Parts: sequence; structure tokens; C-alpha cells
Amino acid sequence: MNRVVSRHWIFLGLFVLVALAMGSGIRLDTPVSDRTAELYDFIESLPEGSVLLVSFDHEASSLPEIRPIGQALLRHAFRKNHRLIGMALLAEGTAIGYRLMQQAAAEYGKEYGKDYAYLGFKPQYIAAILSMGESIPATFPKDYLGRPYESLKALDGVATYADVAGVLSIADGSLTTHWMEYGRARYGVRVVSGVTAAMVTTYDPYLASGQMYAMMGGLRGAAEYEDLIARPGGGKRGMLAQTATHLYVIVLIGLGNLSYFLARRKKETS
Amino acid sequence: MSGSLLLVIAATDPAWFDVDKLPVLIAAIVSIIVIFYATYHRSRRGKFQVREIAGLKAVEDAIGRCTEMARPLLFTPGWGGDIQRPTTIASMNILAHVAEKTARYDCRLVYPTHDPVIMTVAQEVTREAYAQTGCADRYRQDDISYVTSSQFGYAAAVDGLISRLKPASVFLLGTFEAESLILAETGNNVGAIQIAGTDSTIQLSFFIVACDYTLIGEELFAASGYLSGDDSILASVRAQDMLKVLIGLLLVVAVVWNTICELTGATEQSWWSF
Amino acid sequence: MNRRVALVICFGFGVVMFAQYFSQHPLARGVNQAVLEYWQIIFAFALLLGVVSFFQNNVRQIRHGSDRPYRIVSLIGLLAMPVVAVIGRIGAGSPFLWIFENVQAPMQSTVFALLAFFVASASFRGFRARSVPAAILLGAAILILLSRSAIGGPLSGWLPDAADWIRHQPSMAARRAILIGIGLGSLTTSLRVIVGIERTWLGGGK
Repeated sequence: MNRVVSRHWIFLGLFVLVALAMGSGIRLDTPVSDRTAELYDFIESLPEGSVLLVSFDHEASSLPEIRPIGQALLRHAFRKNHRLIGMALLAEGTAIGYRLMQQAAAEYGKEYGKDYAYLGFKPQYIAAILSMGESIPATFPKDYLGRPYESLKALDGVATYADVAGVLSIADGSLTTHWMEYGRARYGVRVVSGVTAAMVTTYDPYLASGQMYAMMGGLRGAAEYEDLIARPGGGKRGMLAQTATHLYVIVLIGLGNLSYFLARRKKETS
Repeated sequence: MSGSLLLVIAATDPAWFDVDKLPVLIAAIVSIIVIFYATYHRSRRGKFQVREIAGLKAVEDAIGRCTEMARPLLFTPGWGGDIQRPTTIASMNILAHVAEKTARYDCRLVYPTHDPVIMTVAQEVTREAYAQTGCADRYRQDDISYVTSSQFGYAAAVDGLISRLKPASVFLLGTFEAESLILAETGNNVGAIQIAGTDSTIQLSFFIVACDYTLIGEELFAASGYLSGDDSILASVRAQDMLKVLIGLLLVVAVVWNTICELTGATEQSWWSF
Repeated sequence: MNRRVALVICFGFGVVMFAQYFSQHPLARGVNQAVLEYWQIIFAFALLLGVVSFFQNNVRQIRHGSDRPYRIVSLIGLLAMPVVAVIGRIGAGSPFLWIFENVQAPMQSTVFALLAFFVASASFRGFRARSVPAAILLGAAILILLSRSAIGGPLSGWLPDAADWIRHQPSMAARRAILIGIGLGSLTTSLRVIVGIERTWLGGGK
């Protein structure tokens, strides 16, 4: 019974803390980390008009974290006048990815079909990644809106991974691993990513070994990127709530250990 | 085929063999030789002993707990993988063993999954296990069901099952993603004993905190051999150990080589990267 | 007989796909492309199998009276969405997309958000310094938590560096070791499936 009660109080405390933090509207400054700067430098250093394949490898559940990440990256790429080709390897990411690209493109006056295109969803992600290595038009004969591949100016001269500067995987799970295992290892395409915070440590070994070129992670990464492109968004807005939550968890760990040691001492003395 | 012959073929018709992938081919051939050697020469060496794994010792107790408390056992392979994934196959091997026990003890086995092919295979595996123990009438096909392919739809469905059925034991064995802690905490809340194992290093951390027993990394692959005593699976575990020794030796040689090159200022120091 | 045919097909395809990986010849690439296309087609049929099974199972359970409200809602969702998609299409502004964005996405985000609450309760319950290694782990976890928040850097200059060191040295070493073990396990299991030693995927039995 005591355990049930303490759990509910913990949940309530967290809810109140996050509600207050989000409601306050305070934005915290976050120094830019080397990792985020690497990804920024990669997109910044590409010649204007470079082709980037943007893969929305996430589900609807992680949208609160993925949206700021995706928005920051797409805004930067459009600002640099890169040609973006969007796609999705998970069904739920399809409509979300299209909407994100549309919104970011509208901010920079980009035209669908000319400056960017969206190919849509392909099932069986491993098969899709391998198939695109052989031929992207054969994998996606039509785009998301049903238009033939050849009719889109944004897709001119793009037949395989050799014709793209890199793959930007915006992911909330381990799909980016498949991009590296199949796209990078077999076809040599450069892989960069924007991932949720939970996946950052998963990809650290790949980043260290060079299999992944650059990575930005979590709401903090989004906040840092927003600083770099001078466009505040969801990342900065969420940092106070994230910081408050982290501190809350630290306090809970402290309280848990305190109760543990007190109970142990009581047991030893009795 | 020798390396020189492969190079000749590549030189005459470059497209047939990609010379850049020669190191990968060599590594693959060495691995295959080691695995076949361990598998087919095991009879001379006697039975290969696997060290005690706490989570696997607890399987029998977990099933017994379900029988004593007259509550079901819930086994789920996670959302992250499909049937082609080796982790899922390892999980199926454990399912076969668990199903035999639940058949014998007349304990209800509930198996929700996110993939229809996994569901079909699990139904066959369980039906076979129940038939082999002579308890085919105890098999309930409806308990092995496809819930949804959506990650958090699956998490919500399994959570609902755990909350309503209140299983005495929960087996979380397979490929898990973010739903792992949600399932583990819910199992903890209903007082179930939990045995978990996954190939995701991130989710392992959650399982270690929230579950009673966790199979780390390849312990999941060794589990099926440990439980069944199947010689071929134990031979594979031995092969893995042999390959690990080879990889360790390669790492040591590469580190020493790289260190010498750094100290002497030599430039050719990347023969091991491919 | 059926099992033997399946094993032969599995072996044949396994060997062919292994061999084509090392070749850039148009024939090899053609084989690769064809297999990938068939793989996607098979996946679509597998999904159909799941939908039919889900429908049958839920109808049976509704008749038995177990968990009726949940199963009725599930079936309504399963049947209504395709109807909505066919009638109203799935493009921008369609009812299908509205339901996806305003019902499914928030529901999924809600379940995902449970993680935050469960992490908090799991931390309170499970993160105890019961031994020296556990205390070291606890200290490392607190360092990482602080470094990932906005106050990490301002709190102390060495904090982000220490957290980075933990992530890139001991944590990564352990992770790589686990990954190597998992990779080897996957390798041996895959090889056993290809040569027919492992037959669980056929539904158990020898």
C-alpha cells in the first residue's frame, strides 16, 4: 500500500513540475556541444544546391521531441538552398515528415517539385535501403503525391546514393543503424542523424568509429541547433521542463537512497 | 578459392567480385569455418558447459510460481524485431521450452506480439510443445495473438493485458525499443516476477533496473541451449567464444601495430579497417 | 516433405544472397533487386494475415465476453479507418489524416510520455547504492543527468567534460563489448538458420 501511494505522489510531482515549467515560458541558454556543431558544419559546408535524402524514421509517439529536431535541421537545409528528398521508413512518419517539410519549405519560399520532393513510405526498411542503393527511381516510381519520379525537377540526376551528399535520418529508434549497416557499409553513402535523447548513447560507438558522420540528439540538441541557426523553437521551449525533470529525478534518487540507508541502519541497530 | 585466384577473376571481369570486400569475405569464411568446426566436431570434446546464468535458473521457478498462484504467464518478444531477427529466433527457442513446462503444469501462457508472422510461428512452436508433452488439449490459440504493429499501441495492449490478467510471471525476451520500461514497470506494479533479455544496450539498462533477472547480450542466444541442452546450440555458443578470442587477438595486434606506427611516425596503419 | 522444401529454399536463398553481396556484376545486382521487391510483396501479405487474425480473435473474444469494451473499440478502429480512407482519401485535410493527427498521434505520445513517469518511479525504487559498484554507477548517472540539462555547463566547467568521458570511454567500451557479443550471436544463429540446424522458424520440432 505504501509503495502505491509513493508512486502516485511521484507521478503527481512530476506532472506539476513539467506543467509549471512549460507554462512559465522561460527559455534557458544551452552552450553548443561539439557533436551538434559537427552536424551543423556538415550541412553548412555542403555546396549550395546539394542533394540531401531526409528519412523520417520515427513514429507519431515521439513527435514532441522529433518536431523541434526535424524543424531545426530542415530550416537549416532550406536556408542553404539544398535540394531535399524526403521519405519515410515507418508508416507513421510518412504524413508527419511530409507536413514538417511542407511547413519548413513554406518559411523559405521553397517550391514542391523544384526545391524539394517527398517520396513517401516504403515498407520493409532493410529492403528499401538496399533497393535504393540499386535505384531510387525503381524503388519509388512515384512520389507521395502520385507524380512520376521523372517529372520532378528536384529529383533530376538522382538515381542512387552516389548522387546524394548524404542521408539525414531523423529517428526515434534503431532504424539509423540499418542506414549505416546497409546504406553506408554497402553503398558508401554518408549518414548523419537527428535522434531522440534515448538513442544518443546507442549511436555513440558508430559516431566514434566514423560509420556515422555526425549526430544531434534530443531536445537539448535541438535547442543547441536552434541557437546555431538563430531560430528559437520547440527545443529551447522545452529545456526548462527537461532540466527541472532531471533535477527532480536526482532528488528522487537521493530520497530513495536516504530511505534505504535509514532503513538499513534501523535494521542493523535492532 | 584463394585470394590470388579471386584477384585474377576481378582483374579479368571487375564486376564479378568486388575486391574492396575481400576482407569481409575472409572474415566471413573464417567465422563459418569456426562455427562449422565447433558444431560438427563437438562429439570428441564432450558436452560444452555454459556457466550459470541467474535469469535462466529462475525460469523454472517463474513457471512454478504461475502454477501455485493460478495466474497466467505472459511472454512477449518486444516490438523491435521480426522473425528474421536472430534475437527473435532465440526468443522462440526459449518459448518452446517455456511452453513445454506450462503445458505440463497446466499453466496459461499468454503471448501478445506485434508481428503476424511471429504470431504464426509462436502458435506453431507452442502447439508443437503442447503436443510433445501429450497435453494438446490444453493449447489455446487465442492466447497467442497479434495486437498491433504500432509501437505504443502494442505497449498499451500488453500493458492492458498485464493489468487485467495480473500474471505471476512476465518474460520480456526479444528485441525491445522504448516500450521496454513501460512493460517492465507495469509488470512490477502487478507484482510479477520478471525475466528479461534483449539485444538493445539501451533497453538493457531499463530492464536491469525494473526486472528481477536480465539476460545481457549473448546470454539470450545461449539461453536456448542452456535450457534445452541442445548440442548444436551449445556448439554455437562455443563457436561464439572462439570468435571472441580471435577478435580479441585482432584488437590486441591492431592496438600494438597502431602504437608502434604512431611512435615511429609510419603512415601505413589502417590495414585492419574495412 | 514441406519442411524439407522450406529448408532447401532457405539454404538456396541464403547462399545466393551471401554470394551476391560480394559482386557488383549486373546479374548479382539484378538478383538482389528482385529478392528485395519480393520481400516487400510478402510483407504486405503478412500484414493481411495479421489483420484477419486480429479480427477473428477479437470477434471470438467478444462472443466469450472477455474484455468486451476494449475489443469493440479495437474493431471499430480497425474497420472505420479504411472506410474513412476510401471515402475521404488520405491527403491533406482529409478526415483520415485528421483522425491520425488528432487521435492516434496524441494517444501514442501519451503512452510514450508514460516513460517519463516510469523512469521517475523506477529511479526512486531501483537506484540504490547497495554496493561500491552501484554507488559508482549512481554517481555516473547523476553526472550524465546534470550534463544533459541546461544547468550542467553553468554549474561547473568540468561537468560536461566528465560526462563526455564517461559516455565515450567506460560506457562505450562496455557497449561495444555487448554489441560484439550480440553480433556474434546473430551470426551463429543466422548461419544455423541458413544451413537448417535451427528450425524454430518452421514452427519448432526437429
